[in-house]
Amino acid sequence: MKLPLSVLALSVAAFALPGVASAHGDVTCHGGPKAGWKNQETLKAQLTGEGWKIRKVEVSKDCYEVYATTPEGHKVEAFFNPASLAKVIVLRRGQVIYRAPGH
Amino acid sequence: MAQSPLFRRVRWFWLLLALPALPMLYAVFTGRADAADLLHPSGETSVRLMVLAMLVGPLCRIVRPGRILRWWMARRRALGVAAFCYALLHLAFYAVDMETLPAMLDEVPLPGIWTGWVAFFAMLLPALASNDAAMRALRRGWKRVQQFAYPAALFTLVHWGLLYYEWVPGLIHFAPLALVHSVAFIRSRQPRKVFAA
Repeated sequence: MKLPLSVLALSVAAFALPGVASAHGDVTCHGGPKAGWKNQETLKAQLTGEGWKIRKVEVSKDCYEVYATTPEGHKVEAFFNPASLAKVIVLRRGQVIYRAPGH
Repeated sequence: MAQSPLFRRVRWFWLLLALPALPMLYAVFTGRADAADLLHPSGETSVRLMVLAMLVGPLCRIVRPGRILRWWMARRRALGVAAFCYALLHLAFYAVDMETLPAMLDEVPLPGIWTGWVAFFAMLLPALASNDAAMRALRRGWKRVQQFAYPAALFTLVHWGLLYYEWVPGLIHFAPLALVHSVAFIRSRQPRKVFAA
């Protein structure tokens, strides 16, 4: 019983692996010096205007990391360039659902 | 009726196991934290208790059980049930964060989510059978039910790795379990020494 159950579990778990996103810590936004960053309130206003529901915004390395619900109702973690407020990468429960060209 | 010292000690142990939940519940009920902020602490507590519950059995096969191992072994069931209770709390925080059932169902096809559901249901079976009545009713099948803890551990690791975007923390947590099981397995394959009369 022990071996077949383990083998079955390993096989099924392996199906989950192709959807792995890049490591969270790998995300870089090329934000440049902090003096050039726009403030978080501007980003919140921009996203709220686009229909996002913002839960939390924090600084992650050279990015603004936003925990939010998209207009489609997806709970996401999104990374923005803090200087331009351009969207860099959007992750949904371990999957990349948006990646800006060059990132 | 007077309670035995052992019964009192076990009750204290349950209280100890409940302690990590108190700051989490306090934070969420007072609005100091969102349910989403508590997904990781509740899940990690569940994993730690699960590993502790699963570690002691093979350890007892490797080394002669002394006082500490016997104390730990006597609390294996409590550790396993507590691990499931924290998984349940983790699920409750997830449900609060998602707000609606359709939103939760919408996420089921995502690998980071369905692996969590599989892990939860695999934990549910041994948790439901973790009592004397189930042990008596299931007889030899009881051990098989408890073995669902292994796929539960595996899917928990994958669930954690996918959602955390990093495998190292999960692997560190489960490494002692893999190590002890490997040693126990190797030991079980070694021929026993036979001494000539």
